Amino acid sequence: MRAYLFMACLVSSSFAYAENKSWYDDILIHGFISQSFINTSDNQFFGNSENGSFDFSELGINASYQLLPRVRLAAGLLSRQAGAFDNGSPRFDYALADIRLFSNQHVSSGIYLGRVKNEIGLYNSTRDVPQTRDGLFLPQVIYFDKVRNALISSDGLVIYNNIYFDNGTLLMQASTGYPLADKNVEYAYMGNDWQGNLQNDHLAFSGMLRYEQNGGQWIYSLTGSSFKIDFDAKGSDTIAAPIGPGFNSGTMKVDYTVLSLQYNAEKWQLTGEVAFENVNYNDIGGPLAEMDINSIGYYLQASYNINTRWQTFLRFEEFQLNKHDWDGKKAARNNIKVSQQLAGLGINRAPIPAQEYYSRSWVIGTRWLIDQRFMLRAEYHKVHGAATLSPRENEVSSTTPKWDMFALSLSYRF
Amino acid sequence: MILKRKLLIAVVLLVSSQSVFAEEIIVNAERQFDKLTKTTVRAMFAMRIHQWSDGTPVTVYVLKDNNPIHITFCKTLLGMFPYQLRKIWDRQIFSGTGVGPIQLNTEKEMIQAIADNKGAIGYISSTADTNSHSISTVEVIK
Repeated sequence: MRAYLFMACLVSSSFAYAENKSWYDDILIHGFISQSFINTSDNQFFGNSENGSFDFSELGINASYQLLPRVRLAAGLLSRQAGAFDNGSPRFDYALADIRLFSNQHVSSGIYLGRVKNEIGLYNSTRDVPQTRDGLFLPQVIYFDKVRNALISSDGLVIYNNIYFDNGTLLMQASTGYPLADKNVEYAYMGNDWQGNLQNDHLAFSGMLRYEQNGGQWIYSLTGSSFKIDFDAKGSDTIAAPIGPGFNSGTMKVDYTVLSLQYNAEKWQLTGEVAFENVNYNDIGGPLAEMDINSIGYYLQASYNINTRWQTFLRFEEFQLNKHDWDGKKAARNNIKVSQQLAGLGINRAPIPAQEYYSRSWVIGTRWLIDQRFMLRAEYHKVHGAATLSPRENEVSSTTPKWDMFALSLSYRF
Repeated sequence: MILKRKLLIAVVLLVSSQSVFAEEIIVNAERQFDKLTKTTVRAMFAMRIHQWSDGTPVTVYVLKDNNPIHITFCKTLLGMFPYQLRKIWDRQIFSGTGVGPIQLNTEKEMIQAIADNKGAIGYISSTADTNSHSISTVEVIK
């Protein structure tokens, strides 16, 4: 009886809501789903791509709700299947409260509190949404998939301030929070999944200055992020060389800066971005003692809108792990020497070849907006170098330096 | 003589077709102004200005991205291309940092929506019949 009464109350209350606007009518919901196919001539990228991989799919749903005139809540769930990088388990891409402190026709400023996407380059904040990218993959030389999670978002707070000038809009952000440290980060910065763990108990800092001139005809952007991750060496990690890696507990300090420029016209879009990364290893020792990274990555892309539905693009991208040792020549020579010395001690370890230190590629692609919801993309990559491949998917001593990749994707949004 | 008349008709048609493509920004009649700067209009349609000067929340209505009225509105009144607005909206929608506008299918729906919401802003082609609705047009100034 009680249950019936409860049901009746529910039903009548929902009728009451139907007459007026109910609170949940104001929840804005969007999402996307995408499936890709990847085929590489050699090497593995997002699954067993040499034989053709369907192991790259993206699924996301998000909601936004204006709780109070000055407070909006937003959260996005993401499930991403991407070869050995991501197994599709859903997680919060972001979950934040947007608190507007001041807003008029010239300025708006406020705070995002919670898990917030980092602004890195032009695309990081929506990097997993196929419709927002200018290609099937973002250029790997800047938007590394192999270290994505350390840079993608942080748990903390962001202060933003937008100024609307007659000549353009200035968007500014400063943020602090804890980075996300996972196995991909360990593979990328330490070459393996060691017994010890990464800890993210240092606050990271990032910032953005972005100017959209004349409604975005020209976009200039400077973004940067700086974070520290601790490595706690455990068990076999501390066994001295040549039998173990000989690691101690220590810290990695990473600075990442991206400069971006984009020109947007009716038919043409030109984009250039350059990223500088510095990684310093403190006290970890072992093979990382002299491995500090000073890398540079850049790309130039020209896109052409054939009409509102069809677009094609051509892109050149390059990455150098050590900008003082172009194409890894010195490093490769040194690796061969070390391998020979180890062989003298009876230990067989293949040297890491030069192609692991750089990547250069030409990409040609096309996009077809079937309608406002469905999108089809195809692209072809001609790659020289293996620096953008992950050791999680490839044996680093035996990658093929020259390889091609073809990829196709079908995406839906709502 | 016949040729001249044909020419005259052609010219008249051309001129009138030009005016078909003129778009106008409309707001609810409760807004007590008839001018907005291009800077403000751009920021409003980019979903970056959230309230009118009297505190009423701004509600932005647009037509579908490939609607000819939307395309002309973007180019002539905002000085932008539809894909640029789409990028700005999607960046906000999919990073949680903001929202997108409300998309409608027809000018008729647009006129009705703006008449019904006192914080609304949208646009129509100047040939649209707006009589008997409580909306007013706004001039975009430099």
